[in-house]
Amino acid sequence: MSVNPRKRKAVAKEAPPPPESESENELGDGLLEGILSHSDDDSEGSEEEDEEDEEEGDDTDASSIIEGLSDEDEDEDEDEHDEHDIREQMRNLKTSDAPPKRKPGQQTHDMDLDAADSSELDAADDGDDEHLKPNYTVHTDANGNTRYMYQEIDPVYESDDSDAEQTNTIGNIDLKYYDEYPHIGYDINGKKIMRPAKGEALDALLDSIDIPKGWTGLTDPTTGKPLNLTEEELSVLKKVTRNEVIEEGYDPYPDMIAYFSGVDQEIMPLSAAPEPKRRFIPSKHEAKRVMKIVKAIREGRIAPYKPPEDDEEQDQFTFDVWADEKPRDANSMHIAAPKLPPPGYEASYHPPPEYLPDQAEQDAWLEQDEEDREREFLPKNYEALRKVPGYETFVKERFERSLDLYLAPRVRRNRLNIDPESLLPKLPDPEDLKPFPTTCAAIFRGQEGRVRSVSVDPLGIFVASGGDDGYVRIWEILTGRQVWNARLSSEEAVDAVSWRPVKEASILAAAAGEHVYLIIPFALLSPDVEQHSRDILDAGWGYASSKSQTTPAPEDAPKTPPGVWSRPERKLENKGVLIQIEVRSAIKTLSWHRRGDYFTTVSPRGQSSSVAIHTISKHLTQLPFRRLKGIAQTAQFHPSKAIFFVATRNTIRSYDLAKQELVKILQPGAKWISSIDVHPGGDNLLVGTYDKRLLWHDLDLSTKPYKTLRFHSAAIRAVAYHKGGYPLFADASDDGSLQIFHGKVVGDLMENATIVPLKVLRGHKVKQRLGVMGVEWHPREPWCVSAGADGTVRLWN
Amino acid sequence: MDSTAAETKVQIRLSTRDPGLQIAEEPTVLLVQTSLSRHQLSTLVNDLLHRETRIPFDILINGQFLRTSIEEFLTKNGINAETTLDVEYTRALVPPLNVTSFEHDDWVSAVDVLSQSSPAGRWSGGNVQGGQERILSASYDGLVRVWNTSGDVLATSEAPNNGGRITSLKTAKWISDKKFVAAGLDNTVRVYKYDDDVRTITTSLELFNHRWAVEDVAVHAPSNRILSASSDSTISLFSSNAKENPAAPANLLPNSTAASNKRQKLSKPDRTVPARGALATFTGHAAPVSSVIFKPDDATVAYSASHDHTLKTWDFPTQSCVDTRTTGHALLSLCAIPSRNLLATGTSARHITLVDPRVSATQISVMTLRGHKNGVVSLATDPNSEYNIVSGSHDGTCQIWDLRNVTTGGQVGEGMTGESVYTINRQGVSGPAKSHGEGVKVFGVCWDKEVGIVSAGEDKKVQINRALDL
Repeated sequence: MSVNPRKRKAVAKEAPPPPESESENELGDGLLEGILSHSDDDSEGSEEEDEEDEEEGDDTDASSIIEGLSDEDEDEDEDEHDEHDIREQMRNLKTSDAPPKRKPGQQTHDMDLDAADSSELDAADDGDDEHLKPNYTVHTDANGNTRYMYQEIDPVYESDDSDAEQTNTIGNIDLKYYDEYPHIGYDINGKKIMRPAKGEALDALLDSIDIPKGWTGLTDPTTGKPLNLTEEELSVLKKVTRNEVIEEGYDPYPDMIAYFSGVDQEIMPLSAAPEPKRRFIPSKHEAKRVMKIVKAIREGRIAPYKPPEDDEEQDQFTFDVWADEKPRDANSMHIAAPKLPPPGYEASYHPPPEYLPDQAEQDAWLEQDEEDREREFLPKNYEALRKVPGYETFVKERFERSLDLYLAPRVRRNRLNIDPESLLPKLPDPEDLKPFPTTCAAIFRGQEGRVRSVSVDPLGIFVASGGDDGYVRIWEILTGRQVWNARLSSEEAVDAVSWRPVKEASILAAAAGEHVYLIIPFALLSPDVEQHSRDILDAGWGYASSKSQTTPAPEDAPKTPPGVWSRPERKLENKGVLIQIEVRSAIKTLSWHRRGDYFTTVSPRGQSSSVAIHTISKHLTQLPFRRLKGIAQTAQFHPSKAIFFVATRNTIRSYDLAKQELVKILQPGAKWISSIDVHPGGDNLLVGTYDKRLLWHDLDLSTKPYKTLRFHSAAIRAVAYHKGGYPLFADASDDGSLQIFHGKVVGDLMENATIVPLKVLRGHKVKQRLGVMGVEWHPREPWCVSAGADGTVRLWN
Repeated sequence: MDSTAAETKVQIRLSTRDPGLQIAEEPTVLLVQTSLSRHQLSTLVNDLLHRETRIPFDILINGQFLRTSIEEFLTKNGINAETTLDVEYTRALVPPLNVTSFEHDDWVSAVDVLSQSSPAGRWSGGNVQGGQERILSASYDGLVRVWNTSGDVLATSEAPNNGGRITSLKTAKWISDKKFVAAGLDNTVRVYKYDDDVRTITTSLELFNHRWAVEDVAVHAPSNRILSASSDSTISLFSSNAKENPAAPANLLPNSTAASNKRQKLSKPDRTVPARGALATFTGHAAPVSSVIFKPDDATVAYSASHDHTLKTWDFPTQSCVDTRTTGHALLSLCAIPSRNLLATGTSARHITLVDPRVSATQISVMTLRGHKNGVVSLATDPNSEYNIVSGSHDGTCQIWDLRNVTTGGQVGEGMTGESVYTINRQGVSGPAKSHGEGVKVFGVCWDKEVGIVSAGEDKKVQINRALDL
């Protein structure tokens, strides 16, 4: 089917007269063939020569490979030929081109099944041979390509092909045009050549034919019968054709047994002869060969190995960052890598058993965080080094190391092992700050209703209390024995009591409603103390009377005096209540000047007359403030200077009494100040507020609180500094508790006050949401006295 | 270990400090089982003593009373059972049981006992018969009462005429069987005469020197000396003999001022009582003096304890302060332990400090006895034993302390610390004492050989506790 195109091509190739260039090509072929035969001769001739001529025989070897590829028949044909003969032949080939050409042609025919083709080809070749010139002319077609114009075939006799076998005569028509037809062309007689069976049809045919077993299609020449072969014979034949050994079970490639190498195999040496000398003498033959190579190298015939030039490296540009790097000195930031300790026994692959962790230790190790592990590996036991597996965290470790190098500077890692407690500012342990009150030492019962105020006398023997029942009571401090009482008012509660802070005399001031009472509880006093106290109080009568005599004007004035000093009713006077001062509105707090000549009262509703300063020696009441901003809550004298503190609801103002000017305005930031107390040093102020805060003001520091203590759950009603040398202060709150603080003030300005909460004193009951109403310190001891809304006064020590 | 405990034995060396109870037999080293308890050891000692009457013994090992078995003691204290234990046996403190209580009208501030063995009984030269013990009680109502041991009031003093002043008494002491002294908030020390036959009390002398309440008095009959400690931080030395005292300071007399004189006249005194001043006034304390005592063997030396944290030694001939010991707390009471040359002082910080008053002593506090919950206001020694003291406290208990029952350690500067061996609650009160001791505060305690432990308190009672089988 594909015969014709091939034929055409072959013709096209062979038809043109061999130009010089082509002859070169041919020559090449011829040369190859010649060498091929020559080499074959050599190989057959002598092995030794072959070895010797190896260098020269390089080409031959190459051709011999080609030879293997070429046809065997040809080889056989040419075997006998001499090299020269072949060269001759080559020359003939150049001119005639016939014999060699034919052979390949035949080859083609052999491959094709069609016989007719070969004859046709022969005829064409013959024609070519005859003319020895091309039967075509070369033109240039429209596209500029070469075009072969074939000559008209002259139908001479020789060209008659009547005797030719039946061939397909469709001419120069591609067979594909017959694809749709059952035939593939026409014979010489114009009959259709039917398409030969193929594919499925052929298979069906083959299947239909029953081929007997062992059928060969051959005829036994001896019997003339069809030759049938058995399976055995067929397999033998197959093996013969494959060049295999026919014998059954023969293993052509048995495992090599090195009989002469091992001790096991070679029980006895084959020869007892000693090792021949030649084994120790350098081989002459080898020397000869080496010399040959050396000579060749010297002459340049063999170039020594030259490494291939790596052009790639030159092409690839790499930037060396560290090219200009200069070695630097180790500076302070340089941290040398820590020197690792040598590995111990536990690091061994086969550690002594005592280094092996037991199960519990293993579990503990596995449970720990990686950072916390003491060792980063778990000692394991392997019987032999070869049983040690690969390092399992190798990749991970490398990766992390790379990360470290990439991201992390090499710093010494300090694990933060900080106890959160240690971050708090260092406060002294309360144990070290003893003594301070810790327990309730006495309960003073007897008061009806709330106790609103307490005061400890300057000697520290008695406690005075005032409360809702209008009584002022005096108690023995240690035993809680009530030793004196007087009812100042039947309607009004006693809101404030305060002892005059001078030891020589014993005067108690108490405020109930709009009245202030000055009391000398003479039942408790020795006659001379009583007399001394009386003298102090009585001194003012004369002054007041003389003043009123000399200057009657104020009495005439429409204004009533801010305070009216008078003797109370007889019943009270017999009890020791000697002076009664009436002010304009109800008094809530009362506070003495340190020398005991003045005391101040604050009546929050009094507006302009809310703050009054009373002078005992003159029986005089003065209103220092014509108008006060805000509602006054409490007032106090400075313990050493002529400074007066007035607390309104939100602010505390300090006034210089001598210069009569405002010194400072403190802004505690509180919503409603309940009480203040000035530190005995005079530079600090304690503020208690109804909004549950206790504020410490350092007067030198700022107008804002130095410390805010918010420990109470209810309003703070009273605050008090210890005035007898202990660095203590206390507050009393409506949550029924007192809190004791250590508040140490250092003289120099460099250090701020130390404030340490010490103790919460519980015991007072909360009644109607009122807890502890007042607190006061003992003048010497770290004891404090509190007034409770539950009607008790308690001593804490 | 428990199974073998019964087999474990330990060597003990028995000893005692009581010469009458020495074991005659040698050797005194015994091998006893560790399972023995105090009772068994006591029986063992009794067996060794071969006495007809059996005495209960307390067992002291290394300064601690054995309360459990030896084994538990060893375990608790970590003592090796192989060592030889020094075991001291001593007459057991028989729990002083509540015998009786004497009801008063008001708080009882102080008690004192007159008996054969009491100091006043000794000073009175055997005038006091056995069974004729008298108990003196001073009350906040200003009256002094004399009781017999059956609880009968033999005599009550009259209310003093002090011009409407408070009369509450704080202290009272027998001088002799016919005299006692009492003082209180009215700043006056009064010497009373007591006639046991007609059972009357008459005020024989009023001593004025104090401007504030008298907290404590001490008496020494042989020299007729009375010491009084006052809240005005002074100590006064009086004589119980009116003639020895100088005239009273005029400014302290009730009729010294116009106002008080007026009151005085209104109260219409029946009869006048001689008023005298002080032989000497000792100033030096900075705060109220809470307690004063004579030195047991030398009546010219006195010790005083004050709220100003100091313990001062006074010398009468030179009228000066010889020595001052400063402690950390306000001192509320004082008593001398003559056998050991120690002073026991009760503090407001709820413990008792034992102070060596000798000048040579280097340590301020020899021993600290802890256990009270409030200020210790009264102290007395055991007349039977030189090791025991009793303390009365505002927490409402009296506690008995054994000075042998101490452990070293405790805080720096406190010396050894001890625990009480027995606690006497007020009658009708049980359970743990409350710190404030409301209603049951003990104000005074006295330990007499015949009567027992007599204590007075806020519950208006004088309570007598006695070990019945002694």
